[in-house]
Amino acid sequence: MNGAPLDRRGLLRGAGLGLGALALADILGAQEGARTRALQHAPRAKRIIYLFQAGGPSQFETFDHKPGLRALHGRPLPDSVRAGQRLTGMSGNQAVLPIAASFASFARHGESGLEVSELLPHTGRIADRLCVLRAVHTEAINHDPAITFLCSGSQIAGRPSLGSWLSYGLGSLNADLPAFVVLVSKDAIRDQPLYARLWGAGLLPSEHQGVQFRAGKEPVLFLGDPEGVGRDARRAMLDALARMGRDASTRERDPEIEARIAQAELAFRMQASVPEATDTSSENDATFELYGAGARDPGTFAANCLLARRLVERGVRFVQLFHQGWDQHGGLPGGIAHQCGQTDQASAALVQDLAARGLLDDTLVIWGGEFGRTTYCQGRMTAGDYGRDHHPRCFSMWLAGGGVRAGHVHGATDEFSYNIVDGGVHVHDLHATVLHLLGIDHERLTWLYQGRHFRLTDVAGRVVREMLA
Amino acid sequence: MIPFPLAGQALATREVVAPPSDIPSGAVCLPSPEADASVSSAAVVSRLGGERGAVGAHGVGRTRTVAILATLLTTVACATLVHERRIEQALRFDRDVRAILADRCFSCHGPDEEKRKAGLRLDLEDGAREALEGGANSEFARRVASHDADEVMPPPKLKRPLSDAQRATLLRWASEGAAYMPHWAFVAPRKVEPPRTRNASWARDELDLHVLAALERAGLAPQPEADPRLLLRRASLVLTGLPPTPDEAEAFARDPSASEFARRVDAMLASARAAEHTATTWLDLARYADTHGYQTDGGSFTWPWRDWLLSALQSNMPYDQFVRAVLAGDLQPEADLGQRVATGFHRLHRMTEEGGSIAEEFRQEGIADRVGTFGTTFLGLTLECARCHDHKFDPLPTREFYALAAMFGSIDENGLKSYALPVNAPPPFVRLASEEQRLREQELRAALEQAQAQLALRRAEARTRLQSVRLAATAMQAPPPDAHWAFESLENGLVANLVTGAPPASVDRRRPEQLGQFALGEGKSGAGASFDGDGGLLLDGLAGFGRHDEISIALWIRPSERNARAAIVHASGFYTQDADASGIELELVDGHVRWSAIHFWPGSAASVRMREPLPLDIWTHLVVSYDGSSRASGLRIFVNGVPEIVEVVRDGLDGPLAGHTLELGSRSRGSGFRGGAIDELRVWKRALSSVQARELAILDGLGVAPGEFEAFEEHFAETLDEGVAAARAAVRSAQRELAAHLDGIPAFACMQDSAFAPPTFVLRRGAYDQPDASAAVAPGALEAVLPFDASLPRNREGLVRWMLDPRNPLVARVAVNRLWAQVFGRGLVETSENFGLQGSFPSNPELLDALAVDFARGDGTPQSAWNMRALLRRLVLSSTFRQDSRASTEKRALDPDNALLSRGPSVRMSAEMLRDSALAASGLLVEKLGGPSVRPWQPEGLWSDAGQNGHYQPDSGENAHRRSLYTFRKRTVPVPDMSVFDAGTREACMTRRGTTNTPLQTLAILNDPVFVECARALAERAAREAGTRVTRVERAFALACTRAPTSEESNALLELIASEVERFDADFEGARKLVGTPDAELAALALACSTILASDGAMVVR
Repeated sequence: MNGAPLDRRGLLRGAGLGLGALALADILGAQEGARTRALQHAPRAKRIIYLFQAGGPSQFETFDHKPGLRALHGRPLPDSVRAGQRLTGMSGNQAVLPIAASFASFARHGESGLEVSELLPHTGRIADRLCVLRAVHTEAINHDPAITFLCSGSQIAGRPSLGSWLSYGLGSLNADLPAFVVLVSKDAIRDQPLYARLWGAGLLPSEHQGVQFRAGKEPVLFLGDPEGVGRDARRAMLDALARMGRDASTRERDPEIEARIAQAELAFRMQASVPEATDTSSENDATFELYGAGARDPGTFAANCLLARRLVERGVRFVQLFHQGWDQHGGLPGGIAHQCGQTDQASAALVQDLAARGLLDDTLVIWGGEFGRTTYCQGRMTAGDYGRDHHPRCFSMWLAGGGVRAGHVHGATDEFSYNIVDGGVHVHDLHATVLHLLGIDHERLTWLYQGRHFRLTDVAGRVVREMLA
Repeated sequence: MIPFPLAGQALATREVVAPPSDIPSGAVCLPSPEADASVSSAAVVSRLGGERGAVGAHGVGRTRTVAILATLLTTVACATLVHERRIEQALRFDRDVRAILADRCFSCHGPDEEKRKAGLRLDLEDGAREALEGGANSEFARRVASHDADEVMPPPKLKRPLSDAQRATLLRWASEGAAYMPHWAFVAPRKVEPPRTRNASWARDELDLHVLAALERAGLAPQPEADPRLLLRRASLVLTGLPPTPDEAEAFARDPSASEFARRVDAMLASARAAEHTATTWLDLARYADTHGYQTDGGSFTWPWRDWLLSALQSNMPYDQFVRAVLAGDLQPEADLGQRVATGFHRLHRMTEEGGSIAEEFRQEGIADRVGTFGTTFLGLTLECARCHDHKFDPLPTREFYALAAMFGSIDENGLKSYALPVNAPPPFVRLASEEQRLREQELRAALEQAQAQLALRRAEARTRLQSVRLAATAMQAPPPDAHWAFESLENGLVANLVTGAPPASVDRRRPEQLGQFALGEGKSGAGASFDGDGGLLLDGLAGFGRHDEISIALWIRPSERNARAAIVHASGFYTQDADASGIELELVDGHVRWSAIHFWPGSAASVRMREPLPLDIWTHLVVSYDGSSRASGLRIFVNGVPEIVEVVRDGLDGPLAGHTLELGSRSRGSGFRGGAIDELRVWKRALSSVQARELAILDGLGVAPGEFEAFEEHFAETLDEGVAAARAAVRSAQRELAAHLDGIPAFACMQDSAFAPPTFVLRRGAYDQPDASAAVAPGALEAVLPFDASLPRNREGLVRWMLDPRNPLVARVAVNRLWAQVFGRGLVETSENFGLQGSFPSNPELLDALAVDFARGDGTPQSAWNMRALLRRLVLSSTFRQDSRASTEKRALDPDNALLSRGPSVRMSAEMLRDSALAASGLLVEKLGGPSVRPWQPEGLWSDAGQNGHYQPDSGENAHRRSLYTFRKRTVPVPDMSVFDAGTREACMTRRGTTNTPLQTLAILNDPVFVECARALAERAAREAGTRVTRVERAFALACTRAPTSEESNALLELIASEVERFDADFEGARKLVGTPDAELAALALACSTILASDGAMVVR
């Protein structure tokens, strides 16, 4: 049914990959119009690396400095702040909600004077490249619906993920690599699980689903030829297959057959291009040092950041890293220090590395989780220890490169970082803005299913102009 | 042990449906493939250049027919390019116009009252009359044709402007009088006279006449009949999901008569394989999987539903019975186990166990899923759109969504699975008893009844004896308690137990989340326990209370606030709220004492509560007792010595209590007794009588009025009379034996109406916490489809009757369309998930209606109505199905998606068919019907690499090679070689799959160890069964593709083998790695087999 992608890719390749070439795609399939019309303006970014921090990193110990809470530490959260907003079933039944001040201190960095926690020293050093959002808000209060919402614009399972929308809307810049690659840190604390739906294609054809690259000798499932089968043998098999296919094609006159032959050829090329892309042995020592400990160990967050850079260099449209372990209901100080220690250097290194290679201008880097955490303590509170529950009303993220305003903070929260005071960015707004940076009008990138034009941003979303450079 | 022991079950009686006798068979007209080339190739060009996405472009797949029609309708632009016969076609509102209006206009001028602009409603003729007055000069026409951004409709901000073709259609419609027609799918199907065709000899079945007439209208002729081998292969694949053996195909090729074909088709239809194949469609619809789908995504006990499905399909259960079983099996008089299990369809949706989840949110998600799945599966409607607002396109108001929600929300469950309890089947459930177990249950019930009769007898005797007995005061007092805390001191986190040898209570709950602190404060006498809501005490030594154990608790209690929820004494955490509550539980709920024995809240619990709240700031003397009966009537509450008249909250305890250590005043992740005080806590491992409760209050210093005589009777009988004591012990023992028996039988979650189910309200914007509580919504259906007859019961059984009413326009059409899609690769309505206004128009409406009417009505003979197997048979035996799938390029261009059925079907096999066919061809397939899901090989570390916990442990032995429908499906980590071939995740209802074509598919077929194993086994088999290279290739090819290779195919494979033999001759080690033996010939053959499995002949149904 969907044989067109290959033709489209072929056409795009022939046309020199320019986005304008997509106009040609308009005639190739019933829904193609939706995506062509989505391209409304020149893109600022061509590709994205999304460093997803799964579990809900606390804003208090990272980017939202609330020095005023020191004086209130241990005191109950005033009812007027919460104003009856719902809590999760985990802390919602606590008899008291005592305020917990951050144990971490903050310092100002760079010309922008961005306040960053001491737990993120490397991130502090790239302060002037960051656009920090302090007032992102979401609708879900538990991990599964919330991370599904961030990744697909809906809490309901089955909607296309951000990356699959991009694959559908923009395609790949390299026909020998998938448009959408997913990397999951192997060194993370698996406190909250991940789900394939976070990179699934949902309603879109499954060719747009994210392809997970795994650490180890077979980065893509079934990439390697079976034992005993060499490259020459595989080449001979594909030649025979193509011959048989052409024979069938002469008989059947079904264009799907030619398409499948071409896909088999693409598979053959992927068998070379993927290992080449994932093999970091050609990187120099300075690069490994930049990304820090773990960069030489495939599958770690640091190694995945480096790999992400290699992938976007080679034309992968969207690389999404997932790093679990940010769900500190208890023991937050120790837990978050560990998380920051695992991710800080490599995240900053990625931005620096992209900048050094001239890629940052048109590569958008996004850092953030699915929600923030409560100003009050969940569970036991001692002199040096506390926990925080989920908080969807405000949390911090950062973006860098790809047309966002550098050295800028957008949005502000109240003194408790409980409610938004200014510059709120809803998840739909974030998605609308990200698509805008890629040259896409979020209202026009649609897929008709069950009679409805589905969008990443549902029926909402506003491009946050203040974030744009 | 499981009720559907399908394995080894005798095949269902073969049913032979005679073909309609009035259809001539025999002579077949064989027009040449080129016969239709008369159509101008310019027309083809115009189609490609036309506005393709404009009309009825739909999710998966393309609706070229509609697009073609749209193009054709722009007669002004391209009249000369268009085939003449098409131009004659009049504009048809329901086919040509409404889809444009619906897509571009209805969101502001449609059914949704709240969003309607300018009071204009274009979906109804009455609402649109004024705007359309004046035809070509109407306001409607003016605005549609306008070039002014402020005037033009639809407005530019909708960002979906009309194409030229669409605009022309609307203007033509307006100028021709703007005739409205009801939406075709909301009008009951009607059979029209079969059309007359010029070719009088081709049709075998009335359905062929409809197809042929459409072809002739389009200037096309059907293809000749397919080669018998390929025809048999096609029939076998679409009916059973597996290819025939080469021998079967050759035998059929020797006698390809109509009767022989019918005989073989009948055998296929009666086979278990056919049930297994058709089941896949239903498993997709039922969002069937083996895990619950959220967060940790643990195992869910679901396969009995799959086995019920298999048994229903294999016995060719008529569709009306099938629908009734699935949707309302539990409501049938004396519903059998199969009917109860069938209703599990609506319990297969995802459920969460994530800590902190809000029960009502997930309860509503589950109900909405049931409504949406019901709509998609049986009505072909997108009901979920009406969850938040009136449907934008279809006449489906929000209140009707909630009328259906009331139908499907009628069970007593709270939407959550348990984090802490190993409960596989959240109630309501049915126990899957084998016949033997059922007989044993009967025995045990009889024994229990006998023991109960004995007890009644003993009680009556005891009461007679009481007339002559005078009770001593001491005989009325409670015995010494089993535990007693006076809360006078707190040392090292311990509170002393006054009962000698009994352990103290401890403050350490051994959990990190404890925030507050237990303390002593002012008591009823001296010090007492004081609670802050977070700190509490563990009552060590008090654990393991079962559903048939007696217990009593006495205490002084003093709340200081009206607690919404406050745990007093309980035995569980509150991780996923009440879904984790199991054990005995004494709580304050909105200030009222609630006393419960819980297996799984709310569906399996006994619970009562006080009618009045406890008074604040004064001490109340409270005694609660439970007699171990599992009934609400066995739970009693005494306040200040007086029995309280209670409300029954739940009365359906039907499983074991978790029985952890009792906890006082606090609860992990739940609300403790904030601001409360307790003193003199005593616990007995027996039920106190009301006299003892009264005496206890008197001893504790309360003046209590003398009790009624009945209370003394009861006290004497239950407490002092040895005969009653023995009889009561015998009853408990019989109950325990019965419970142990029942608890040992697996429970399966199903539907069961409950009077305790919460009422249904319309939820504003669909939000669970925004009910419009002004009026509960009564169960109902969809007025626009068919008014709900007042005589029907307002429950799911009534809904089924509404569905099966001959006037219901959707149910038969949707079912027929689905079976049509199974056979022909696409439905007559391509959007099989949407028959609404935005759905695609039927490619052949008269054909769909004729089939729907025949399907529902039958031919008057028993079992002929709603006969799914007979319909499949009819479709496969038709001339339409028998056509060759090959066609000329020109014909393909005219009918690119084969919507007109101008050739035989061809479609890439599904994920299941690909793997199963490869297993079958290679001889590895293990055919065994039903049973628990199996775990074939999957890549090592698949789950953990995807960020999930848990480890996938593959099965060994025959389970590695079972059919794919039995493969364990974890919703958050799909099986790789299934998701690559579009199998979906089973998170939500799915009516049809995509058929994408990607490089990952080639990698899977050539490199996935499962397929490599098949290639190796196929090579071994071919080597065993044939002697030369040439014959081996032919054999392997025939096994996989059911035909001989062409010379080109054969040569390609033989040359491959020749080159690879040479290579393996120089690399025996490579051969050994591939085929386990240093046999270059076999290794090269294996590569050839792998290539065959990846080829068109093996992967595509043609």
